[in-house]
Amino acid sequence: MIRLVHLIVVCAFVAAAVYVYKIKYDATAQAERAAKLRTELKRERDRVATLRAEWSKLDDPARIQVLAERHLILRPTAATQFDTLDRLPERPPQAAPPDVGDPIASIIENTDGEPPTGTVPGAREP
Amino acid sequence: MTHRHPPHHPAHEAGLAWHRRAIQMLLYGRNVDRARKARARLGLAVLTFAVIYGVIAGRLVVYAVSSDPHIARRAVSGDAVATSRPDILDRNGEVLASDILTPSLFAEPRRIIDADEASELLIAVMPDLDHSDLRERLASRRGFVWLKREISAKQQQEVHHLGVPGLGFLTENKRIYPNGAEVSHVLGHVNVDNRGIAGLEKWLDGRGLADLHQAGFASDRDQQPISLALDLRVQHAMRDELLAARDKYKAVAAAGIVTDVRTGEIIAMVSVPDYDSNNPREALDPTRINRLTTGVYEMGSTFKALTIGMGLDSGKVTLGSTFDARVPLRFGKFNIHDFHAQNRMLSVAEIFTYSSNIGAARVALRAGVEEHKAFLKKLGQLDRLRTELPESAEPILPKRWSELSTITIAFGHGLSVAPLQAVMGTAALVNGGLLIPPTFMKRSEAEARALAKRVIKPETSAQMRYLMRLTVEKGSASKAEVKGYYVGAKTGTAEKVVNGRYSKTKLLADLMAVIPADNPRYLVLVMLDEPHGIPETHGFATSGWNAAPVAARVIARIAPILGIEPRFELPPADRQILASARGTR
Repeated sequence: MIRLVHLIVVCAFVAAAVYVYKIKYDATAQAERAAKLRTELKRERDRVATLRAEWSKLDDPARIQVLAERHLILRPTAATQFDTLDRLPERPPQAAPPDVGDPIASIIENTDGEPPTGTVPGAREP
Repeated sequence: MTHRHPPHHPAHEAGLAWHRRAIQMLLYGRNVDRARKARARLGLAVLTFAVIYGVIAGRLVVYAVSSDPHIARRAVSGDAVATSRPDILDRNGEVLASDILTPSLFAEPRRIIDADEASELLIAVMPDLDHSDLRERLASRRGFVWLKREISAKQQQEVHHLGVPGLGFLTENKRIYPNGAEVSHVLGHVNVDNRGIAGLEKWLDGRGLADLHQAGFASDRDQQPISLALDLRVQHAMRDELLAARDKYKAVAAAGIVTDVRTGEIIAMVSVPDYDSNNPREALDPTRINRLTTGVYEMGSTFKALTIGMGLDSGKVTLGSTFDARVPLRFGKFNIHDFHAQNRMLSVAEIFTYSSNIGAARVALRAGVEEHKAFLKKLGQLDRLRTELPESAEPILPKRWSELSTITIAFGHGLSVAPLQAVMGTAALVNGGLLIPPTFMKRSEAEARALAKRVIKPETSAQMRYLMRLTVEKGSASKAEVKGYYVGAKTGTAEKVVNGRYSKTKLLADLMAVIPADNPRYLVLVMLDEPHGIPETHGFATSGWNAAPVAARVIARIAPILGIEPRFELPPADRQILASARGTR
């Protein structure tokens, strides 16, 4: 009886030792991985910072202005170019209802035979 | 209960707790039989192991809950040695200053086998290195020499591919300012060790960053970026116009500020000539100082706004009061003239819009010397203004504040203040009467109100807005008008003191503009130092001819950026501003 207990205890002890060693080994591996990731993260962050700095150098208003003056015909916005939303004109009535299969046919149908061509009717007469 | 007593007899031990038995075993070892002893040993072993496992389990829990600080420390220590600084952003998140890692090339001459060959190869990659100097350095028997600080990543690659032994790289943090000179006076600059030595960079160090550096903590990029109130787009528009104006009017210098009158935030601050923050040596040139905070100037007629504001607020003067401006004001041996002489009785409104020196002097005299002084003190014009910028200048006060001082200060001569200070005072006149200390950091309106100090009544402020608008509609600042933005303004032209006398030719032209005048949001200061008359201005060099059109151009450019809605159907000032002010009273 007591031998069996001893055997079990010894087995359990060995198993536990193995288990603890494995945990320790895993933990070391994880810690190394974490350190590596951290280094990588920092390197990435440094690269992001460099790129951001480069971007803001390229995006410098002084530089953009020179480029715009050289290549574009745009001018600074004048106050008269702004308008308020309530002065926006009404949306024009739709020529064809949206759910029709053939919109062009429905436009022709709606105009009572007169084709909407823009030609002045009288101009056709000689 | 009875069998537990007495505990000393072996026959009673069976009933005792097992640990008590274990202890007794150890005590009475020799007298007991082996089986019992073995059991006791087993018990002891179980106990010991239980304790050990308990400790291990406990440590595991501790590790799981709090991460191990040693690992993080190890990761950091392998990185760049140089200190790092937080990024500085503008109010929209544009990077104004940032740290980048740059490699620097060094050599260990003792380990170099053939100095001639190494220098040949290096020159091929970096032609800007001095050939003889390089060879000399490589041939020396020293342990370590810098060959080139701050090389590009491409050069690093190329040098690496040369495969020369004894060459190496060290990465260092370098502060860069992508916008160059654009924001230099606000940001300042750093020295080789990445320590701030001017501007906001120095202020950052003063806030404890330097101590962090010394302790070695600030080597990571995790520091929170600093967000300024500055708007890079507005800053650029202002600088661009000022550079153009400085050329056009052949001025020595030009400077400008845009500030939010409700919060005291400085949206733009430019003083040209300026310098490139990436090249701090330029900052040593004394002509490149920041004229807005480190220079003090007699601001000229823009100071009349303060004089009239004082008069109206005291109640001793109303908008309709008239003052004699028919003849120059005689005081002792001095004669005070008007530049735009009207030679008649002038109302307070006319004094302001025609910028009458005589009138302003008479208003100040009616208030009295003491009240004048107290009012300027209240508006912060007599004390050094401190902002985040470490550079500031003390105003120059008259040695003895006589009646004559009050007369001249009434129209902006005899008291020199930093322009930023004058901006703060004028902003208080138009924003409803609250003096708000200017700041370069973001600040909400609520925070500003908590800091603000009431200096004049809201009604007086409405009257000042009316007067400034009137000056644009039919006064000296008509060239500052930008259709749609309802600009209010006050011109100022001061004669500069040359060799102790006021010069007729060396002038300081400035203009304070407020947009929109009926409900001000921004105050714009434009200042030209010693502008010259040009054919376009008919030879005049006064503010209305140069600072005013420049301000108009600036406002036309920045108003859309600042989100000010153009309105075109606004009635003239007396109906738009005065009527609404009366309505709220």
